[in-house]
Amino acid sequence: MSRQIIQPLTRVEGHGRVILEQQQGRLVSVQLDLNESPRLFEALLVGRSWQEVPELVCRICGICSSVHKLAALHALEQVLKINIPPAAAIVRELTLLGGHIQSHALHLFCLILPDFFGVPSVLDLARDRHPLAMAGLEVKAFGNRLQELFGGRIVHPVNLVIGGIGQCPAEEQLIPLKEELAALCEKWPAIAEEFQASAKYPAGGAPVGCSLATGSPIGFDLTGTSLWTADGSEWPVADYARLLAERPVSSSHAKWPTGEQGPFLVGALARQALTARRTGTAPDTSRQNGIYANNTAQLLEIDWALSRAYSLACQLLDLDKTAPCRIPPDGPRAGVGIAAFEAPRGLLVHRYILDDTGHVTEADIVTPTAINQQVMAKQICLDLAEEKDQVRIVKTAEQIVRAYDPCISCAVHLLEVK
Amino acid sequence: MIPKLLKIGVVHFAGCSGCQLMLLNCEAELAILAQRVDCVDASMITSATCEETPFDLLLVEGSITSPSEQQHLQKLRLRCRHLVAVGACALTGGINRFDAPTRETACTHVYGPVADQIETFSPQPVANFVAVDACIPGCPPEHSDFLDFFGALSCGVWPTQRDAPVCMECRTRELRCLLEEDHLPCLGPITIGGCAARCPALGIPCEGCRGEVSEANRDELCHLMAKTHLSKSELKRRIQRFTGGENV
Repeated sequence: MSRQIIQPLTRVEGHGRVILEQQQGRLVSVQLDLNESPRLFEALLVGRSWQEVPELVCRICGICSSVHKLAALHALEQVLKINIPPAAAIVRELTLLGGHIQSHALHLFCLILPDFFGVPSVLDLARDRHPLAMAGLEVKAFGNRLQELFGGRIVHPVNLVIGGIGQCPAEEQLIPLKEELAALCEKWPAIAEEFQASAKYPAGGAPVGCSLATGSPIGFDLTGTSLWTADGSEWPVADYARLLAERPVSSSHAKWPTGEQGPFLVGALARQALTARRTGTAPDTSRQNGIYANNTAQLLEIDWALSRAYSLACQLLDLDKTAPCRIPPDGPRAGVGIAAFEAPRGLLVHRYILDDTGHVTEADIVTPTAINQQVMAKQICLDLAEEKDQVRIVKTAEQIVRAYDPCISCAVHLLEVK
Repeated sequence: MIPKLLKIGVVHFAGCSGCQLMLLNCEAELAILAQRVDCVDASMITSATCEETPFDLLLVEGSITSPSEQQHLQKLRLRCRHLVAVGACALTGGINRFDAPTRETACTHVYGPVADQIETFSPQPVANFVAVDACIPGCPPEHSDFLDFFGALSCGVWPTQRDAPVCMECRTRELRCLLEEDHLPCLGPITIGGCAARCPALGIPCEGCRGEVSEANRDELCHLMAKTHLSKSELKRRIQRFTGGENV
């Protein structure tokens, strides 16, 4: 029996390692450790006022801070019984789309692209002003422009507050933005095509796991009231804990989903597969390139996000901007609030219980990378079962993990390594 | 002549990676930056890993929460000429410092039966273990913090550390005072500026994410805060959010 440890995993967010065990040259077991530092968010939230929660939880992750903040706001507004004004809802969704675009572009052009050209970092591509890298960075910057304009800041957005938003951007900011969006919508397909043409992936088997994503009656969306799984079942979001059955186990440093239908696959690929199956509106890419099809699914989502952002910007321009964009809560209330969102890398659930003074008595946060950790290990096992070349095993295992776009800070908001 | 590239590293401890993301968020300047620096070790940015190469500059984000992190940091310090603490977690422990009520109970709360296998201590600022040559504040730092920093370095000097409060920037922008006029719990008077009063400009009170100015007048702030809706303990928590939870 020989043991090989790949550490650190590079070009992923946070610290992780993969332990491969081989017997007579055959891969027999794969263990994925998400060895980040303990953050203990669920414990530190207990006893804190609802007013503090959104600012604290967005700090779980710098890459997906917008979606964490939105999930917290939605869950808390459910308890406080607030319906936010229409303009606020649009500004929030535009922030969410900005985060989605920036995160996917970061993954595709900063983390994945160097693999295609055999360089260690996007900086090596930027140094030579590589055209595809530069085009990708421009798209990433545009995602950030949306987060800056609507969220008030790129990382840890400040404009999103309980009851709505701080301020709605002025018409003179929205009009040029709309034009830029239209131009980028035109430009994007060629960039995506160029990415696909440059793509070089190792051979891989079909993606492992039961796809899971939020379901929405209006079609593809980044939030929803139910959870869809690949076997055709639909669960109310409130039943997420029963579906996932997450448990802390000593062999892993993340809670493991132990639900019967699992292991689950979440993220862009799962969303595409489920939307295609349920509504027939998106192409099924799950059979191309194994797990690397997740990159294709992300490319398609950027396309969707850009056109969605365009139509929202148009809607926002038509709204009455003098109407208030925030409804202040009329005081604390007791209750339970749950919100499910699609973070760029998959399903995110926030659940809070507040007492009648508005203090948190219980908090639960389920993150996509914690859900995906089982399928990541299984996919490595499947794809590399017959591989004999040691160098290729290490390189491919790392590429497989990278394809899931893991966000380890998110996953270990409550984890620790031994 | 080809200028010598500055060998830099970025290391991440307990935190959200938002600080190093802000470096990658300088999209328009990355090409220019890449002309000046060679990133020799930074697990999120590059797959190059050099266990022995000395760094000219090491950027450290996140706070230190375990003996193994402490050892790792101290080893890295021996390899780098200059060490820069980046962001609230590295500078003060940041929001990681909220271990209500103690680290042990928080661990038990989250991990249950496996909690005693965890070797961890209350999150500490980087400067508690190693010498820090420069600081970049913020949760997260601004674009301009990174650009000022690398701009100054490329001229062979350290950037000036700001110590004027957010209030100064509010005045410059002629913004409405949220504290005096709207009685909102704004920490602008005691918080290091450099964000161009980002939050007050949106009508959102400053939460102090860039840390405290060196001569913070907390007494006067508490006096001004008397008209806000915050209780004493809520005010204390608000001030502590990014200052490392020291006694207020």
